[in-house]
Amino acid sequence: MNEKKFKILMTLGVIGLILGSWGMGSRLIFGHASVNYGSYVPWGLWVVFYLFFVGLTAGAFLITIMTYMFRVERLKTVGRLSAFTVLVALVCELIFITLDLGHMERLYRIMISPSFTSLMTWFVIFTNLMLIIYLLESYFLLREDLIAWANDPAKKGRRIYRLLALNQTHYGIRDQNRDKSRVRFLSIISLPAGLLFYGTNGAFFAILQNRPIWNSAMTPLIFITAALLSGGALITALIYAFHEDEELVRPLGQVILYLLVIFTLQEVLQFFVGYQSKITGIVTSLNLIAFGRYWWTFWIIHLLFGTLIPLILLIKSPEQPRAVAWACFLIVITFVAVRFNFLIPDLAIYKLDGLELTFFHPRLRTNYVPSVMEWLVSLWIISFGLIAFLAGSRWLPIHAPAGEGAKKDPATWCNILDSQAVDGQGGTHHA
Amino acid sequence: MGQMLPKEDLLVRMQRDLRRANTKDPTKVQWAMVIDLAKCVGCHACTIGCVAENKLPPGVVYRPVLEEEVGTYPNVRRRFLPRPCMHCMNPPCVKVCPVKATYKTVQGVTVVNYKRCIGCRYCLVACPYAARTSDFGEWYTRETPEIPGKIVGRKAAAKGYEDKPAVEYGKTWPDRGHGSPVGNARKCHFCLHRLAIGMLPMCVTTCIGRATFFGDRNDPDAFISEQLASPRSFRLKEELGTQPSVVYLK
Repeated sequence: MNEKKFKILMTLGVIGLILGSWGMGSRLIFGHASVNYGSYVPWGLWVVFYLFFVGLTAGAFLITIMTYMFRVERLKTVGRLSAFTVLVALVCELIFITLDLGHMERLYRIMISPSFTSLMTWFVIFTNLMLIIYLLESYFLLREDLIAWANDPAKKGRRIYRLLALNQTHYGIRDQNRDKSRVRFLSIISLPAGLLFYGTNGAFFAILQNRPIWNSAMTPLIFITAALLSGGALITALIYAFHEDEELVRPLGQVILYLLVIFTLQEVLQFFVGYQSKITGIVTSLNLIAFGRYWWTFWIIHLLFGTLIPLILLIKSPEQPRAVAWACFLIVITFVAVRFNFLIPDLAIYKLDGLELTFFHPRLRTNYVPSVMEWLVSLWIISFGLIAFLAGSRWLPIHAPAGEGAKKDPATWCNILDSQAVDGQGGTHHA
Repeated sequence: MGQMLPKEDLLVRMQRDLRRANTKDPTKVQWAMVIDLAKCVGCHACTIGCVAENKLPPGVVYRPVLEEEVGTYPNVRRRFLPRPCMHCMNPPCVKVCPVKATYKTVQGVTVVNYKRCIGCRYCLVACPYAARTSDFGEWYTRETPEIPGKIVGRKAAAKGYEDKPAVEYGKTWPDRGHGSPVGNARKCHFCLHRLAIGMLPMCVTTCIGRATFFGDRNDPDAFISEQLASPRSFRLKEELGTQPSVVYLK
C-alpha cells in the first residue's frame, strides 16, 4: 500500500475514533440507556457487527491453515497477513460483544461458573482459544523479524521491537525450526478449534426452537458458507491492497465466485422452503426481510451491491485483479446487511398474538432502528480495528520477507496446490 | 337452577393451602398457577399489582395481559390472556444461560440470580413466551427537570420511592442506578418473597375476577390440584415441550 492510501485510511481511522469516542463515553458512563433495542428485540447493531467480524476471520483462518498446516508454499507470502487479520478481527468482535453485555464487568463469570449446556459458554471458550492460538501464532511468525529489526541500528523504535521480542537478541537455525514447529502445531490445533468456533456460532442460533428462521439445520451451514465468503473476500481484498500479489488474487477470486454462488443458492433455498412451508412465523420473518422496513438493505445493499455486481465482476473479469479486488471489497462491506437481515427480522416478530397490544413502551416494541450511540460505538470499534491493522501492516513485519514462498508461476489452484513442499532449512543468525 | 355461591372467597382457601404448603418439607412442594380465561375480564389489575409489588421500572413487565380481537363483525369478541413466566419444567432459558444465573429452584420456580447475571439477554431470545424483559435502567422520572440545590426536581421526585428497589427474592438491592437489577434479565418469580411469609403472589391477590389460582400441585387437597385436573386445561405452546407450570383453563 502506498503512502498516500495509508495516510488517507489512517486519517479516516483517527476521525472515526474521535467521533466514536462520544458514543463510547456514553456507553461506558450511562450503560444501555441510549440504545434502541429492547426486550422483544434484545440484540441490535453490536451483535450484527459481532457476527460480521466473526465471519471476517474465516478467510484468513483458512489461509493460515493451508499455509502452515498443509504447507501450501505459494500461500506463505500472505500467511502472516492472514494470521494478523484473524487477530484484529477477533479483538474487534470481542469488544463488540463485551459492550453489548448489561454487566460486562462480570464477564469473568463465564470462566469461573460456566454452564456447559449453554452454547454461549462454548462460543466464549472457542473464541478465547482462537485468540490465544492466533496471538501465539502471530508472535512466532513475527519473532525472527522482530529480533532482526531490534538488532538493526538503522531501524526506528528498536526498543519497542526489543520489548516485543521479549528481549531476545539471538535467533538461530534452532530457534527458526522450533518456531516453525510451534506455528505448525498451533495451526493444527486451530483447525478443530476454528471449525468448532464457526460451527458453534451457527448452532448458537439454530438451537432456539422458538425462532422460526434460525431453528434449522441449515443455519450452521449457512454460517460457515457466509463466514468463508465474507472472510475470503476480505483476505483477497487485503492481499490486493497490502501485498500487491496480483497473481494470488485471481485464484482466490475464483474461490470467492464459487462461494458466492453457493451462498446465494442457500439463501434462495431458505426463502423457497420458508415460503412453501407457509408457517406464519417463518413467512412473517421472510416478509420482514424482503418487504419490511429494511427491504432496501436486502434488495439494494445485499442483492445488488453485494451479490449481483460482484458476480458480474467475477464472471466477466476473472483475470483482472483490480476487478476481483473490487468485487471482494463490495462483498465485504455489504455483508453487514446480510448479518442484519439474519439477526433482526427473526427477533422482530411478536411471539404471542396480542403482545403488541399490551403494555406500551419503546423497549417493548419490535421496530428497531439503531440509535446514534450504537452507530458511534460501532464506528469507534471499526476505526480501532482499522488503525490497529494499518499500524501492524506498517510497523510490524506482517509481510513475508522477499523470496519467501514467492514462486511466481502463473497462480492457479493447480499450481498453488502443486507448490506444497517441505520448507527449507535455512536460518538466519542475528548477532 | 343457578350455581351455588361459594361459601368462602377462593383467596381464603388458597391462603390456607399456601400456609399448609409452607409447613411441608420445601423439597416436596411444587408451585403451580392456573389462569381461568373464562373469568378474566382484562382489567390489568394483576399487571399493575405486579408492577407495584416489584417496583418494576419502565419497559419491564412480568405479567402483561395480552388482548386479542377475534371474529368478524358483528360476531366479534375480545380475548384476554394474562402471561406471567410459565416456570417451565423444561425451561429453554435455563439451558442457554452461560453463567448459571438463571435456574430452577427445588420448588419449580425459575429464578434469576441478579448478582451473577451478565446481561447477555440470550435467555430473552430463547424464551418462547417473551416472558423475560431486560432492565435498561429507565426511570419514570427521567423527563422530570432537575433543579440542583432545590427540594424539587428529578432526584427529589425519585427519592424514597423510585430509587429504592423492591425486595425481590427477599433480598435488599442497591439503590436504583447503582448496579443490579439494572442491566439484568428480569422475570416473574411467583412473588417468592411473599410466599416465604405466607402471602399469595400479588397477581393472585389483585385479580378481581378470581381468575388466577395458585398453590402446591403436590397437595391433592389444594384448590390448585382441582383446577389442574380440569378438562378445560391447556398450556401455551405445548408442542415445544417446555412443560409450563402455568396452566390455562379455556
